[in-house]
This record gives sequence, C-alpha cells and structure tokens, in this order.
Amino acid sequence: MTTQMPETEHAVRDRHQLRTLAVAITTLSAVLCAVIGTIVYALSLNRLWFLHYPLGFYLLAQGLLIFAVVVGFWYVRVQERIDHTRSVTEEIG
Amino acid sequence: MSAPSRQRTPNPHLGAYYGIITSAFISLAIVLALFEQLGWSEGATARGMILLPLALYLLIAGGSRTLDPEDFFVSGRRVPQVYNALVLAGITVGGVGFFAYTGAVFFLGFDALAIGLGWTCGLLLAGVLFVPYLRKAGAYTLPAFLGQRFRSRETRMTASVLQVVPTALLLAAEIKIAAVVASIFLPLSFWLAVLLVAMFVGATGILGGMRSLTWAGSAQFIAGAVGLAVPLIVVAVLFTNLPAPQFTYAEMFGSLQGAETAAGMAPVTPGEIAHAVPGNAPMQAAKPFLQPFGAINESGFVALFLCFALGTAALPSLLVRSGVTRSVADQRRSTAWALALVALFVITAPSLAVFAKVLMFRDMALVPTAGLPAWLAELSGRQLVQASDLNGDGAIGASELLIVRDGVALALPMLAKLPFVLTALMASAGLAIALAAAGSHLFTLAASLADDVYGALDRRPLALPRLMAAWAAIGACALAVAIFLLIAEVDALHVAVTAFAFAAATFFPVLLLALWWPRCTMWGALAGMGTGFVILFLAVALGGAADTAVSTSVASLVAVILGLGAGVGASLYGPAPAASDIAYYEELRRPEGEAIFDQAQQRAAAASARETDD
Repeated sequence: MTTQMPETEHAVRDRHQLRTLAVAITTLSAVLCAVIGTIVYALSLNRLWFLHYPLGFYLLAQGLLIFAVVVGFWYVRVQERIDHTRSVTEEIG
Repeated sequence: MSAPSRQRTPNPHLGAYYGIITSAFISLAIVLALFEQLGWSEGATARGMILLPLALYLLIAGGSRTLDPEDFFVSGRRVPQVYNALVLAGITVGGVGFFAYTGAVFFLGFDALAIGLGWTCGLLLAGVLFVPYLRKAGAYTLPAFLGQRFRSRETRMTASVLQVVPTALLLAAEIKIAAVVASIFLPLSFWLAVLLVAMFVGATGILGGMRSLTWAGSAQFIAGAVGLAVPLIVVAVLFTNLPAPQFTYAEMFGSLQGAETAAGMAPVTPGEIAHAVPGNAPMQAAKPFLQPFGAINESGFVALFLCFALGTAALPSLLVRSGVTRSVADQRRSTAWALALVALFVITAPSLAVFAKVLMFRDMALVPTAGLPAWLAELSGRQLVQASDLNGDGAIGASELLIVRDGVALALPMLAKLPFVLTALMASAGLAIALAAAGSHLFTLAASLADDVYGALDRRPLALPRLMAAWAAIGACALAVAIFLLIAEVDALHVAVTAFAFAAATFFPVLLLALWWPRCTMWGALAGMGTGFVILFLAVALGGAADTAVSTSVASLVAVILGLGAGVGASLYGPAPAASDIAYYEELRRPEGEAIFDQAQQRAAAASARETDD
C-alpha cells in the first residue's frame, strides 16, 4: 500500500498536467490559428459582406474578439472541471 | 490542512458602494448638463466634470489606506473577480488605448486593428499560460516569483532591473496622455499638469498600495466606461437610430467612403505614407478606412499583433495583479472577465473612429458652399485640428486638414454638435482610465524596487521598513518619470509599442519556460531574460528598430525566439534543476490550497512563535 500510494498520486498528477496542457494548446491554437488565417485571407474575405461589414474587416474588428471571449470562458469552465477532478481523486485516494 | 491566514471575505457592500459611485458620476454629468444650459461657461463645466471625480478617486484611495503588507502588496487577496477584472482591463487599455488607439484607428482604419486584437489575445494568453500559476505562487511581484521559482536572488534582482524598462515607458506614456488632457481642459500648462498628475498617481499608490489602486481603479474604470459609452451612444442614436454603435456603424460606411473620396483620399500602399502608425504631431488622414493593408502589409500586421499579444501576456503591471483574488479559480475567471471588457472596448473603438471621420470629412466637403463648420474653430482653439486652404481652391481637402491623433476621441462630441458637457465627460473618462493605468504601472515599478531590491538587502521580517521603502520608491519613481517627461518628447503610442515589445522580449520566454517546463533552471531563466532584453535593446538603440512600430515589433519577435532558444539551451547544457525546484514546480501546478508564498509565511511565523515560546 505504502509503495503504491506515490504511484497513484503521480498518475493523478500526470493526468491532470496532461489534460491541462491539452486544453491550453487547444484554446490558444484555436484562437491564434483563426487570427492568422483571417489576416492571411483578409483580402479574399473582404469580397464577402456580413451585417453590412466586409467579412475580413468584421472578423478582425469584432468576430475574432467575440470568439476569443467565448473560447476564454470555455477554457475557464473546462480547466475548472479538470482541477475539480484532480481534487476529488486526491481526496478519495 | 492549512487554514487561511486571515479572513478572505470581501466587503459584502461593495456592489452598493460602486452603485452609488456610478450613480454619483452619472448624476454629476446630468447636473453639469443642466448648469451648462443655465449659462455656465465651458471652463467651469470642464473643471466640475474633471476635478470632482478626481477628488472622489482620492477619497476612495484614502479610505483604502493600509499599513498591512499583505493589503499593501496584494490587496489582502480578497478582491472579487469582477472588480479585479475592471482594473486589469483599465491597465490593458489605459489612456493609450482610449486616446491613441482610437486615433490610430481613425487614421489607419483596418490596419490599426492589429493592436486591439493583440491586447485581447494577449489577455487570453496570460489567462491560460501564466495567471493561474502566478496566483498559486502568490509572490508579491513578478521578479519575486522568478526568485522563488529558481531559489535565486540573482534572478530576482535581474528581473527587477529589467522590468523597469517596459513599466517605466508605459508609466511615462500614461502620465503624458493624462497631462495632455488635463492641460487642454484645465487652466494648467502642460508642465504643471505633468507634475500634478504624477503627484496624484503617487498619492494614490502611497496611501494604500495595491489596495487603494484596486478600489480607486475600479471606480476609474467605471467612470471611463460610462464616459466613453454615453457620448458614443448619443451619436449612434442620432445617426443610426440605434443605441448600439458597435453594431450599427457599418451603416455609415457608404457615407464614409463618399466623404473620403470627396476629401481626396485614395488607396495607399505600404511605405507611401510617412508613418505606418501615426505619430504625435498633427497629421493628415491619408488612408481610406476600409482599405486593408494600406499602411502596414500583412506580415507587418501579424508582427504588430504578435508583439502586442506577447507583450500583454507578459506585462509585469498585469501579472503583478495575479495574487489579489481569493483563489486560483477566481483569478482565472477574473482574467476571462477582463478579456471580455477589453474585447468590448476594442470592438467599440472603430465605431468612434468611423463616426468622427464621417462627421469631420462630410462637413469639410460642404466648406465651399456652407463655409467653415463651427467645430473647426473650437477644435483649432484646443489645438486638436489645424486647417488651411493651401491651394486656394476654397475647399479644404484631407491633405489640408491636420488632426492630432490623441484628440479624435475628444473631438467626437464637438463634431456631432453635442453639448459641451459630453466633451468634458469624454475627457474625464479618458483621464480616469489613464490614471488607473498609470497608478498600476507606478506601483509595479515601486513595489519591485522595494520588495525585490530593498527587501533582498534588508532581511528583517518587519513590515514598516518595507512599506517605507515602497512609499519612497513610489515617490521617487513618480518624480523621475515627471522629470523625464519634462525634458523628453514622448509619443504615447510609439512608447507603448516599445514597452510591449520589451515586455514580450524580456519576460515571455522566461515565464513560459518557468511555468511550463520543469527542466528550466536558474541559468536558463537568466539566459532567456538577458538574451531577449539585450537583442531588443541592441535592435532599438543601435539597429534603428525604433524607427517604426512594425520594425520594433519584428525585433521583439526575433528577441522572443532567441530568448526561448537561449533559455532552453542554458537549461539543457547547464546543471540539472535541484529537487527543490522540481518540488516547487509541482506544487505550482496543484490548483488547491493556499498560495505557496503564504504557506512559507505561515511556516516562518509558526517557527518564530516556537522560538519565542522556548
């Protein structure tokens, strides 16, 4: 039992860190890829119109900011769930 | 196991207090609007609208005075998440965002969006990569965290010295903006305004440190938001019939393109106009608003965006607030709220610029038939605009109308022929945001000098000497920046670009490695910080990278990459990290429990009590 405990703790810790890393990479790559992609294709997107705005302009002025806020709150929710899982698992263990 | 060292319950009446403060600010504007209609002069209205809120902020700061180090440095770790978000948003946007960014959007249109996008994404980066872990560490300053992470006084001192550059530059930019606004609307010369603003910011910091900055800063942000929203909503209702300028200004694009064409604006190419990012001096609006990549090409846009994003993420003035909420989860949520508030401002800024540009150039197109508009004399009198018919054709085109970048926000209510009280409200709002940001930059600078430099020299566990050192540092830094502004010509936006570039180059690599790579060592941290800073310093001081905002941004990105490389290399090829460093790293990533710094304080206090008993 005493030899197994640290391994269990390490497993919980490693799972928590892996999931934290995965959600951080997902969050940041989603937003950064969207921003870079929009900048690269802004001229093409500007040929389309959305709510009276050229689409490329709209995305850089509003759309991506709203997307970043939504992703930010989604990240908070997911990370809190990951942290809660670790706390509960450690308490049970 | 470990009980909190103190009751971390926020004041339950905070909502009522800030409701009263908001109501008082709105009531003041209404009362002054009535007095203006009764014949009060513009000067008296401006003095009332600017000075009375300043007295209120000072009163709040005085009411939050403290001699407790935990209150002074981290606001007692009991700030509710939304109130901390208000201050974080105020620091990110600042007077630079309120006046210089809106002006940059006016001049550059599409191309200036890189800056606002960078601020927003930078807060997201900070919230995901750094803030929760810094809250868990619980250090009072960013250099103190690095010192604790690597058990190294050298790392702490180095970080403390290196953070002076970005923080002092931003402090200078914010004080400059606040002093310019004060000197326009109050009977003060610019030099006197600089001294008075520096004294005001210093007094706010000295009274209660982080605590007074938090509570005065929250009120300042609310005043800033109300003061920006009210004139803009009035203009939006007048011209689009809807009180949502962010979503209705697209209806003005047709009028905007007509007015720009009538004023003689034609599409430009990068390098064609003198400054890619507009400077301090009055200049002509040469670029059509919607034209993409006219002043800055795609790669420059990406570089500017990344520079602001990485700089915001690693900005010491923002990260120093990572210890003020009750828990790691609260701090994370607080950053998300700040992200939402900054995004709202960034979404709003283009609407202000579009309304101002349409109103300005539509009226100028009518000059040959209707004569000079009334606002021209008013704006010229306040030195926000210069117009002259250079070619003698009886019309004033875009090239003959020189506009001060930082005056665009102030000009909007005058352009829309609104009562003067709304111009004073806009000035009061921008001044409040600038003061909130300046206070935080000043505190960051001074707290680091007191806690990281003086604290490392004087190891006595006494509160008063540390507080006295902090008071002296706040006073000295405020005075030094005021003197700097009196002798140097500072362009707030260019200084801000340089400051964000230095923050990115110096602190982004080291924070990323320290918080996400257990193998990072003290030598890696020193190499990462030093390389990033030195590369950017050489590029700016010797390589001419300071000439344009885009070249500064590119240099900062190169410095970030080289700093990361140096940090990884020095960590891999130097000695392996000590077991205590790994243990600290693992504890940092445990979301539960007290801050590591507080745990250490409690252990030290318990040991001291045992020694006394023995």
